[in-house]
Amino acid sequence: MSAAANISAVEVNGASKIFNSGTANQVDALLDVNLTIAPGEFVSLIGPSGCGKSTLLRLIANLLEPTQGEISVNGKTSAQARLDQDYGMAFQQAGLFDWRTVSKNIELPLELKGWDKKKRESRAAEMLDLVKLQDFGNMYPWQLSGGMQQRVAIARALAAHPPLLLMDEPFGALDEMTREYMQGELLRICAETSTTVVFVTHSIPEAVYLSNRVVVMSPRPGRILEIISVNLGSKRSELTRAADGFFKSITAVREALRGTHAQHVASTAIRGAEDR
Amino acid sequence: MKTLDRIKSITTPFVFGVAFIALWEGAVKGFDLKPYFLAAPSKIIEQFFNNTARIWEATAVSGGNALVGLIVGTILGIAMSFILSRFRFLSQLVTPLAISLNAIPIFVLVAVLNNMYSITSEIPRRFMVTLVVYFVVLVNVARGLTQVSSIQVELMRSYAASEFAILRKVRVPNAVPYLFTALKVAAPASVITAFVSEYFGGLQNGLGSRITSNIANSKNAAAWAYVLGACLLGLAFYTVSIILENLTRRGQSK
Repeated sequence: MSAAANISAVEVNGASKIFNSGTANQVDALLDVNLTIAPGEFVSLIGPSGCGKSTLLRLIANLLEPTQGEISVNGKTSAQARLDQDYGMAFQQAGLFDWRTVSKNIELPLELKGWDKKKRESRAAEMLDLVKLQDFGNMYPWQLSGGMQQRVAIARALAAHPPLLLMDEPFGALDEMTREYMQGELLRICAETSTTVVFVTHSIPEAVYLSNRVVVMSPRPGRILEIISVNLGSKRSELTRAADGFFKSITAVREALRGTHAQHVASTAIRGAEDR
Repeated sequence: MKTLDRIKSITTPFVFGVAFIALWEGAVKGFDLKPYFLAAPSKIIEQFFNNTARIWEATAVSGGNALVGLIVGTILGIAMSFILSRFRFLSQLVTPLAISLNAIPIFVLVAVLNNMYSITSEIPRRFMVTLVVYFVVLVNVARGLTQVSSIQVELMRSYAASEFAILRKVRVPNAVPYLFTALKVAAPASVITAFVSEYFGGLQNGLGSRITSNIANSKNAAAWAYVLGACLLGLAFYTVSIILENLTRRGQSK
């Protein structure tokens, strides 16, 4: 039993991903990525567009196969973890099914697990409670606001109580106020369910506010440049956003990103000059 | 305010329609137009009510042909779209063909078909309707089955869902509105095809052939009465397709 506690939630060993290998369109998306995530940890992946952070998330989800390296989730291969539905997933678009009510959307992963109707319905009600949408179960997705739809997507991702939640810029399409509210809600939900989270984002404050660690990635080919630990304690509130530690961490992430960004801009500038 | 808008949206076309018919009637009377040139609406209505039994009979024949073709074509179209969505290479083969066939008036083929079957057969007409409906349904439903949100497919794969589960829970529900869009086009098209097919010979029992034979006999008002029957039949098909769509739409927005 004590061994189980030592199993990492996610372990990425020397993972590389090359798309269209050997053709003119070859893209080296990821290069030799190593990352270990402990159970209950909240880890953000941040970096410039096209740095492969979404690719890394999809490798962990086993929606893509690595060209090289190994990935394990919950001590299993990522493929087995996917078959066992050991993780839930949420994207920038809520991706809800228009023809299903909110409750039926949340029940979808449970249907695929073969749960019976009663069990599904009671779990859906429980998830609606969790995301504070008790009164919206019988509505259709288009009747909800963007923030509410995203909460339904989170409820659906967590419906089977997976130990791991993979999120790809889930709040990217929301306005700033809704976004901050959703960040608070996500932290509350993850604390209540002790879920491990891997969170892809463009936003430095969002990464810092949410995470235990922020993984800063370089432009293509994506590598991990730096992993910055955020020491803001486990209880975070709106006050956290005004704390010294919050700004210090933001500066640290920004500097790590800017180092790479400056190089990136310089290299494209040179390339531009060559083109002329 | 809203109810006022609704009343307006109904009364405006109604007033326009009544005014148009009044103008028509007035023109025929005022300029003393001969019946073989243009029949007066009052005469057409009179003919319509004098011949309801015969018009109904002809409507049943044309409508029956349209309905049989519509049902068979829809079933075949749906079946084929499933096969196409399963086998990508077949789809690349058939879809451009289906789309181009949709754009040309293939019902003229009925003349050829008439030659292939006995003169008393309804099969050429039904076959023609089937063909027209088939391609409309095929193109639309295949689109609905394949143009699904990539996020929803990725989500299903993250649930380790089988291809069959993705078909059942994502592709088929996604294709339902596409099917009804197809039916809204195919239902009036099936009626039109059924009439026009009758212009190319064969049995003289449907609305289309009655219209031509009445015109040939200079019974213009009677021909118009059959045209009126044809309009009503087309409307009935279209209305049913819309009612069906609303029944299945439930709470959806689109």
